[in-house]
Amino acid sequence: MKKSLCTYAVAISTLLGFIALAKTPGTLAATPESSPSGIEVKIDNFSYSPAAVTVKAGTQVTWTNHDDIPHTVVSTDNLFKSKTLDTDEKFSFIPTKPGTYSYFCSIHPKMTAQIVVQ
Amino acid sequence: MVQRRTAQTPNNDEIQVDHNRDGIDRRGFLKCMAWAGTGALCVLQGGVLKSYSLRHGYGSKRHAQGELSFVQISDRHMGFNKPANPDVIDTLKAAVDKINALPIMPEFMLHTGDISHLSKPEQFDNVDQILKSAHPKNVFFVPGEHDVLEDDGKQYRERYARGAKGAGWYSFDMKGAHFIGLVNVMNLRAGGLGTLGAEQLEWLEKDVKHLSKSTPVIVFAHILLWTVYPEWGWGTDDSAQALAYLKRFGSVTVRNGHIHQTMQKVEGNVTFHTAASTAFPQPKPGEAPSPGPMKVPAEQLRSLLGVTDVNYAPGQHGLAVTDSTLE
Repeated sequence: MKKSLCTYAVAISTLLGFIALAKTPGTLAATPESSPSGIEVKIDNFSYSPAAVTVKAGTQVTWTNHDDIPHTVVSTDNLFKSKTLDTDEKFSFIPTKPGTYSYFCSIHPKMTAQIVVQ
Repeated sequence: MVQRRTAQTPNNDEIQVDHNRDGIDRRGFLKCMAWAGTGALCVLQGGVLKSYSLRHGYGSKRHAQGELSFVQISDRHMGFNKPANPDVIDTLKAAVDKINALPIMPEFMLHTGDISHLSKPEQFDNVDQILKSAHPKNVFFVPGEHDVLEDDGKQYRERYARGAKGAGWYSFDMKGAHFIGLVNVMNLRAGGLGTLGAEQLEWLEKDVKHLSKSTPVIVFAHILLWTVYPEWGWGTDDSAQALAYLKRFGSVTVRNGHIHQTMQKVEGNVTFHTAASTAFPQPKPGEAPSPGPMKVPAEQLRSLLGVTDVNYAPGQHGLAVTDSTLE
């Protein structure tokens, strides 16, 4: 069974045009529900879904781990990095510069995906 | 007793009755449970390492006698609390009880990684506390990827690898055998498998250079040093280089964890083994959408441990199955 969502500290890092955010689901403007233009990526069965998303610069992307095993979201160019996401935990960031950004799970590196920012 | 048979039985894996619509029927469920286990007793006899599952019982003195015996345990995942096994503390205690009941006390224990589930101090503390009740007092560790989250393995090294090289690799000699603990869970590359890295490989080459070729060599690491299923990351990118340094030895045994099921393969002078987990079983390679935990009720998980013992050894013609029991 899924655990209730965990609360963890807000972490903001701005690296090469990225703003990375990790926040509680109840925080205003943090969740897809309160941010209709945001994009959600599911982590399920050891894969990111969708594996490739195209967003406009400034759009928040949020990952949620639905697996019973922890995963991470780590840019292959070290532009952004989530903490370890246990079941139901989320990680968000807002890309601000156009480009293609590949990322992977640093625990299970066969898990790879990308974001295209327009 | 060792039986060997092929596992290629057409349609044998078809689900016949799926009451819960979860993709697992009773027969399949029993099969899944074969993948969970306790540990392995390893006995060095005449320079050759033999291993026995602890799942079936305690064995006889005859099997346990040799130059040296030790126990391999793996993948405790302390802190895991999902339906596949909400009580990993009890299953670890049960494994320690089995170890303590062995007819001859093993010299030491090898722990092949994933001590904790999330690298939290209390998770490591819990395992340390339970292992204190084991009769063999020495435990040699290598890290799993779950032990080095967040801090690049700093906490792991401080607890379990003081005096080790690099990310925690080391070797030691015991009764004429040479043991090598390797680390292949650090600095994993996107799209890749486990990694040993140039520095560790260089150390390994020097470490075994002085040994005579008749020295039994036992290598242990978390992720498999032989490729079982790369699609799920079950292999190590640069393990071939490590094995090349061990080619001249007459007896090499590689012991891994990571995949929560027992498998074995013999290739030339090298015997590869993986250990089961006490935490939760994982599916057979490629037989599920992902290598995630097999979800079963805890009481059934525990009562069904020891239903059967299966060692899968990929061969040229599909999977060969070996049943090893302590009789």
